[in-house]
Amino acid sequence: MPEPDRSLDLFFEQLVEGRLSRRQVLGRLGAAGLTFSSAGALLSACGGVKGTATNSASKPVTANHPKVAIKQLNFSNWPLYIDKSVLKDFEKKYPGSNVKYTEEINENDDFFGKVRQQLQRGDSLNRDIVVLTDWMAGRWVRSGWVEPIDRRNTPNVTKNLQPSLKHPKFDPNRSYTTPWQSGMTAIGYDPQKTGRKLTSIDDLWDPKFKGKVSLIADPRDSAGLVLISMGKNTATATVDDWLAAIDKIDQENKKGQIRRFTGNDYTTDLAKGNLWVSVAYSGDIFQLKADNPRLEFLIPEQGAIIWTDNMMMPQKPPHPYAAETMMNYVYDPQVAAKIAAYVDYVTPVVGAQQAMEKIDPKLVHNELIFPTQETLAKLQPYPSFSNLSDEQKIVEAMQQVTGA
Amino acid sequence: MLRLSLRTRRSLFPYLLLGPGLLWLIVFYLIPILSQGYVSLQTGNIEQGYTFNWAFHVYSDALSEYGAQFARSFGYAAVATVLCLIISFPLAYYIAFKSRHKNILLLLIVLPFFTNYLVRTIAWQTILADDGWVVHFLQNVGLLSHDGRLLATRTAVIAGITYNFLPFMALPLYVSLEKIDRRLIEAATDLYASRATAFRKVTLPLALPGIFAGSLLTFIPAVGDFINAQFLGTSRQYMIGNVIQSKFLVIADYPTAAALSFVLMFVILAAVLLYARALGTRNLQDAAI
Amino acid sequence: MSTATVESQVRGGRRRFAVGARTWDSIRSKALGLWAALALLYLFIPIFIVILFSFNDNKGRFNLTWESFTFKHWEHPFSVSGLSSAFANTLEIAAISTAIAVALGTFMALALVRYGFRGRSATNLFVFLPLATPEVVLGAALLALFLTINVATGYLTIVIAHVMFNVSYVVVTIRARLEGMDTHIEEAAMDLGANEWTTFRKVTLPMIAPGVAAAALLAFALSIDDFVITNFNAGETITFPLFIYGAARQGIPAEVNVLATMILLVAVIGMIVNLILQRRKASSERPVVLAPAGAPING
Repeated sequence: MPEPDRSLDLFFEQLVEGRLSRRQVLGRLGAAGLTFSSAGALLSACGGVKGTATNSASKPVTANHPKVAIKQLNFSNWPLYIDKSVLKDFEKKYPGSNVKYTEEINENDDFFGKVRQQLQRGDSLNRDIVVLTDWMAGRWVRSGWVEPIDRRNTPNVTKNLQPSLKHPKFDPNRSYTTPWQSGMTAIGYDPQKTGRKLTSIDDLWDPKFKGKVSLIADPRDSAGLVLISMGKNTATATVDDWLAAIDKIDQENKKGQIRRFTGNDYTTDLAKGNLWVSVAYSGDIFQLKADNPRLEFLIPEQGAIIWTDNMMMPQKPPHPYAAETMMNYVYDPQVAAKIAAYVDYVTPVVGAQQAMEKIDPKLVHNELIFPTQETLAKLQPYPSFSNLSDEQKIVEAMQQVTGA
Repeated sequence: MLRLSLRTRRSLFPYLLLGPGLLWLIVFYLIPILSQGYVSLQTGNIEQGYTFNWAFHVYSDALSEYGAQFARSFGYAAVATVLCLIISFPLAYYIAFKSRHKNILLLLIVLPFFTNYLVRTIAWQTILADDGWVVHFLQNVGLLSHDGRLLATRTAVIAGITYNFLPFMALPLYVSLEKIDRRLIEAATDLYASRATAFRKVTLPLALPGIFAGSLLTFIPAVGDFINAQFLGTSRQYMIGNVIQSKFLVIADYPTAAALSFVLMFVILAAVLLYARALGTRNLQDAAI
Repeated sequence: MSTATVESQVRGGRRRFAVGARTWDSIRSKALGLWAALALLYLFIPIFIVILFSFNDNKGRFNLTWESFTFKHWEHPFSVSGLSSAFANTLEIAAISTAIAVALGTFMALALVRYGFRGRSATNLFVFLPLATPEVVLGAALLALFLTINVATGYLTIVIAHVMFNVSYVVVTIRARLEGMDTHIEEAAMDLGANEWTTFRKVTLPMIAPGVAAAALLAFALSIDDFVITNFNAGETITFPLFIYGAARQGIPAEVNVLATMILLVAVIGMIVNLILQRRKASSERPVVLAPAGAPING
């Protein structure tokens, strides 16, 4: 924009930069365990605070939920994340059952903000199944806010769960969580705008795309990708590796390379051509391609991210057996294929691909829904930190870069 | 029925009027917000829980770290408030004095806001797209450099705030303009040589309560706004509302979020008092205690 | 009273400048009208796009790029499950919370402007506080209260929250009306033996009606679009904004545009009916301004 704004811009920028440099110093200190927050955590630990923040994941878990007649099931999920006929079929299969399906989860953080106080008080949420992404699921498992699953009631899950998803770090034996859908985070772009095929994560930093690149604000997605481009693995990377990746993003952001840090609202800008290259989710690009077939989803040779939304029972579920029955039901390949055809993310259910032949043959060979084994081998999970403060450090470092 | 003297009745009456609303605000606003004051002095984290330990450093940290966002919030909100005033004063004046369909025009001002914010923003993103005709037009007439853009700029954020808070300026303005006795203006135009003087000496002073109310209803929530910066700006435009939002929801640092909120509320109140003194309207002399 | 009368009176009083003033008046008046029209147009620009995209034959789930014209989303606007109930919830909550907030706020404004009492200044300032409080903190704080007093969050708590944040807007708007307004008529009514309530109903309310209407419009608009505070206190109740924010992840269905357009349609139809009624009334009696004007000189 024209000149008159300039001085104000500079003023703001200097202010921000002043802040950033100070915060970076703090970040470094933080790595040595000297920040206010860790000191605070220490203090409160001395104060003997309530909380069950032990590593419940590592202990052997047993759950016993005897078979009972299925009457009520309270299932909370994200909007438009299931073909509703699946619920009707479930009710038909289990006469007398009633699924109260609530599309109340908008965002992991938002939902957590809403139920946190109940969780910390040890109250039941009066929900049998909630669906949350790996890292949030991990937080709940770590804190003991979830009910273990009686795997005797979910034979389909044992049989059909994608092997690569069987042992996530945050729940090594899947004692508490069952994958609902997975998705990939990689790079979505418009080849007509970029003028060339992209091949690498580093193409995000091509100076020709200055101001036309978006990153997802969540460091698990964008810093994860950058980390992979630096030759690290998200599962084994150290806090310093993550901070280095975030530093790289910071440098590019200061150059003006990055237009915006987004949630999934990058879809609008990508569809309108305001963005040429975006860190993007596979399901979004699948949907955007319907209107703009030009768009590409690049899963680079270096690798990309796979994340999973997990079904789990929050503490004191009113109908645990019904919840397990539902988990088992959606792991029937026929049902899973139906859901996958509606949702267009990556299904975690083995056998769904064959079952898809009958439902929508066009989708059977769609790499975005059924990635090949070769692709799956390139994918790395969201990070799973053994403690909260490491996770917080990374999230906070990213917030400093995004300015919020 | 209890029989009270007329005098007692009259003196009790204001409390009777005030009571229900005030009670609502005390129970559902004041008490909860005081509890946040308590939270703001705690330390800890979500997994270990929080303990209260007079952690005043939360306040000084909050202030020293987010000066830029505070400055931006007040700057953007002030500019947007002035723009709102410029755009809506003639509109409100027209509706109050020239229109025969006042209620309909009033409804028209608010009607766009019955559609959801996200849906409206997507529409703006369509209109102001880098390849759209608006941008091309501005580039052609030289108001925008050839690679310039409208979205993801400070201009877009301020325009977004202006757009979204316009009714909060226009409606109070209308409300106070509409009650002005037109004969006063007529008399003034007879007395003063120019209409401009008449406007300055009569209409404007009588419209002051509306200007005061409108600018506060625009400015105060705009300072705390986060959604326009998030969708229409870049990280360089993030305001204090964005910080509070992410401190609370993303980082789950409730004490800092609460502390920042209190600082924000305090500064806004101080600004309101100053503004009130400057305008010198009656309710403001009251408010200034 | 018509503007023409006013202008002729004005002109009469300033005969010396008659010609010049007349041209100036008409230019000024036209410019004012043009400005008002442009301002309204500005408000409606994105709305035209919203309406247009309710007719978009989008191929995928996102409704972002224009494909071709279709009526398909209008055939079953309530077919997206969850959307219609969310929509109904939002309209109901907006109506209920607006009614309560306007009632509470009107009385508060009256007390604050018309009466001197202890604590008035403090109350005046206090009313601004909710406007200045960031939404996340407001939402979370209220949720903490409901949890402490063991009130299950849901429909009722959303209404409570909306009334809470709307009251201040109502008070400030109506106060702008009452400020500096003539109190003689009310006093006269009281002197004639009317009690407070009758005076309020028969005298004060008609005088402040435009303020009440404006405040109600603002409150309704705020309630219908609130996300942050609602999200905290919604329990398992879904409102229109909650649905849309969640749906954004999978693509906001075009039916959202249809419902948004329907609200506009209903409002516009209401306006037209209103206009016709007004015309009829006008032809049977003297011209009447729809909003009861505050100044007693009307007509």
